[in-house]
Amino acid sequence: MQTIKQLTALVTRIVRQNLTNADTLITVIAMPVFMLLFFVYAFGGNIVTATGPASSSEYLRYALPGFLLLTMAMGSAYTALRINYDQTSGFLNRLHTLPIPRWVILGSHVIASVIFMLLAEVVVFLTGLLMCYRTDAGITSIVAFWGLSLLFSVAITLLAIPFSLKAADYASAGGFSYLLLMLLFVSSALMPTAGMAKPVRLFANHQPMTPIVNTARGLLDHSMAVSNHTLWLAMGWLGACVIIFSGLSYWVYSRLFLHK
Amino acid sequence: MNAIEVKNVKKGFGKLEVLKDVTLTVQPGEIYTLLGENGAGKSTLINILTTLSQADAGAVKVMGLDPICDGKHVRRLISLNAQTMTLDENFTGEANLRLIAKLRGVADVDVAIKEMSQRLELSAFIQRKVNTYSGGMRRRLDIAMSLLGSPKLVFLDEPTTGVDPKNRLALWQLIREMRANGQTVFLTTQYLDEADALSDHIAFIHDGRIVKVGTPAEIKRQVTTTYSLKVAEVQRDEATNLLKNAAIAFTQRESEFELDEIAAKQGLPILLANGIQVQHFNLNETKLETVFLNLMQQEVNHANH
Repeated sequence: MQTIKQLTALVTRIVRQNLTNADTLITVIAMPVFMLLFFVYAFGGNIVTATGPASSSEYLRYALPGFLLLTMAMGSAYTALRINYDQTSGFLNRLHTLPIPRWVILGSHVIASVIFMLLAEVVVFLTGLLMCYRTDAGITSIVAFWGLSLLFSVAITLLAIPFSLKAADYASAGGFSYLLLMLLFVSSALMPTAGMAKPVRLFANHQPMTPIVNTARGLLDHSMAVSNHTLWLAMGWLGACVIIFSGLSYWVYSRLFLHK
Repeated sequence: MNAIEVKNVKKGFGKLEVLKDVTLTVQPGEIYTLLGENGAGKSTLINILTTLSQADAGAVKVMGLDPICDGKHVRRLISLNAQTMTLDENFTGEANLRLIAKLRGVADVDVAIKEMSQRLELSAFIQRKVNTYSGGMRRRLDIAMSLLGSPKLVFLDEPTTGVDPKNRLALWQLIREMRANGQTVFLTTQYLDEADALSDHIAFIHDGRIVKVGTPAEIKRQVTTTYSLKVAEVQRDEATNLLKNAAIAFTQRESEFELDEIAAKQGLPILLANGIQVQHFNLNETKLETVFLNLMQQEVNHANH
């Protein structure tokens, strides 16, 4: 029971830090909302999507799932910043001298990060609804979509941990998130890969983000439902990321704190 | 049972040997001060004692427990106040205290926060965000966070570095109160006067070794007291000759002379008797380097013999 109280206290601290920091709110919530509005209403009418001719509403229907993943990817930068700040400021050391189970210390960052990413995703999703996005998905698909979002947020949070612990300072901790954003931009997240230049298309079709985005899109829109192969590919990538980066996170953490 | 027992502890990072052979014992309820320059190994030793790090060799007991095998139990009994303050700047002082109280499992958090705020005189600004605090206020809050839950052994790693004189004295009083409350305090500092004012025992750590342990009185006897004496510029040569003729040892920089205690007692009356105008006569503040040099010289002499 005490462990749950400690975990709750630490998770609350990090979520509060995120919700009271203007920079975090602008980057993780306001910026994706702005990008969604800008892409849909400025570019959308000129982009032919897989589902139909160029129009803002068709583009919104196509791209919203991609923007939702993009929102979480932007949030992962702040996960890395928070962990790095706690490490470089000595706060992690303070926690390590308190009677707290060790797993709670990074576990709280993981949980808080997932909560914040999902919260940001909800805001962007609601913005999409206000922009007249409508889903024809049933309750099972909706639940599966949020399950996929949860798995994605866990995977990129675990990816953030080793970078944040190894980064020399606060400013460089979030640098890895550009890699995530680059992968999302060069995928089917914001536009179909069919019109991309051949080498770019080859990369886009074979990198992890494309099956993940396509699966998310298919869960929200039956007209874009994906094959089982794509679904399992997405699950495979996410599962592999969770396993690899949880192992890597533990390895870096134990070298820094458990075997010092 | 001793509060801390350290025997022949060694610790290195790669090829760098930080602790070479450290042995010390801290009695319960005392203020034990570890004095040393930056890089001497103070923080490395504190990290080992507070379960943050493991010794490469030697034996360590904290409150009778092994910090590695019994780390969980040790952490219930100790608290660390590190050199760098770990405050959430955008939260109020109360929120910072509340977090640590919850993490420590303090039974009545509100009562504990109120008591700690009063004890450390934080009440006036406890509801303000930490980013509006002065340096002294932050340090007091940081120490208050370390004292929540009444740990039996408190590690204070250079708590007064960068603190103004008024707050420094307030912190000294607080440290004395900890001892009065039965808490053991393991203090590190670079300031000899702080160690002198507070400690029951002082250990000098230099280059990863404890080079001297003793009470402040014992340690001070290792230091040669010196005085500074300044004469009028026009009488500089005359003063120099008077001291030389009386076979009094001194060092000189322009019209300022530095003499040890015996030389000062002999030299000052001679100068005054001969009409030398003494503009300043001061006891030099005993600096840590002076103590170190003295102790190092003793180490060299001891080795040569």
